[in-house]
Amino acid sequence: MAGLRDDAQWIVLMGFIVSFSLFFVAIVINQSTVVGQTTAEAVIEFPKNDIRGMRDMIIQSEFLVDEGVFNNKTNVQNDIKTLSLHRQNSVVSFSSRNPTGSDPHTYIEIHYSNGVTAYNETWRSN
Amino acid sequence: MTGRLNRIAYEDGVSESIGFLLIFTLVIVGIGLVTLYGYPMLLQQQVSADEQIMEKNMIVLQNDVKSLAYKTIPYKETSLKIGGGTLSVFNSSYTPPSGVPAAITILDNNGDLIDSFQSGDLMYLSDSAGTDVSLQNGAVVKRHRVEPGSVMLAEPRWFYDGMTKTMVINLINITSDEMLSRAGVGTVQMSLGDMQFQKFSVDDVPSTLHPPVYLKYTPNKNQDYSIAWDNYFRRSLGMSLTSGTPGNGLELQYQFPDTTTLVVKQFEVNIRSL
Repeated sequence: MAGLRDDAQWIVLMGFIVSFSLFFVAIVINQSTVVGQTTAEAVIEFPKNDIRGMRDMIIQSEFLVDEGVFNNKTNVQNDIKTLSLHRQNSVVSFSSRNPTGSDPHTYIEIHYSNGVTAYNETWRSN
Repeated sequence: MTGRLNRIAYEDGVSESIGFLLIFTLVIVGIGLVTLYGYPMLLQQQVSADEQIMEKNMIVLQNDVKSLAYKTIPYKETSLKIGGGTLSVFNSSYTPPSGVPAAITILDNNGDLIDSFQSGDLMYLSDSAGTDVSLQNGAVVKRHRVEPGSVMLAEPRWFYDGMTKTMVINLINITSDEMLSRAGVGTVQMSLGDMQFQKFSVDDVPSTLHPPVYLKYTPNKNQDYSIAWDNYFRRSLGMSLTSGTPGNGLELQYQFPDTTTLVVKQFEVNIRSL
């Protein structure tokens, strides 16, 4: 026993540490498919362009007048609602408040919801 | 001479045959334990791994269906490995040998708005785990064949917007030109078919008089996913159960939350091949 050299015991210890860490890495990798899937989905599903487009259209439509057929404000606004339901699978609703004597701004309340993402805004004209 | 005497003294009570028996027994017990307990455990692991992989695969397929339906992408294909069972298409016109296929009817007091819509499904039937995982109506649901329960792994994209009191229901109809089934590695090809858009609205009625809207869900008795759908209707969409008991294979009726606008979209997803 006197001549026993134990300098290299760390090799055995390292072996233990490496194998246990491999075990945990395996568990983590096992979960990664699902996480990657949902994360990618969340990024793809965020309807940034849908919201921007819808918002621009609503603001533009607010300054149309209720005259004629094609540029009629009511028709255009109804079309916006129908098209967003039809094409983007989203519910859009909006209402506006015209300038009054003391407050020269036009306000539009915009609501957008597609079941996953909801967006609400009160827009104010400059 | 002394050394020899010593050695003899040390070997007192040592028998070669007993030693052999001991070691042999240890080895046999070891092999026996592995065969009796270890191997079945490994098999079980394999089965549940297959099942889990297929659950994930079904969610991937659900995403494909979502892309087709909600983003109007015309065509999608996914390669996947189907282990421990088969993936089959039961299209929406398929009638099971006994019982009726699951159907959804939407009605109000004046009659049916959507009359008994059958979705069809893409189903994974596990051989050894005894479970079915089904992609139906945009949802992924799972059930054990011998137990009455079922669970929804991924929800469909139906939603209720409380601010505008709008209920949006997306019905997805799975069609195929022929019966398709696959085990092993395969590619699921699907394309978007017809799309229908219906809007029912009662905007001009005072809020206390909004007529109630009902949804009737008739499960397939032999493939009863009613508990999964019941949870979805009540917990996620806020509907209330007005008649029936989920899980006994009979018709269930739900009342929508206060709804002024009902939008029903029907998509047709055609499975080209598996």
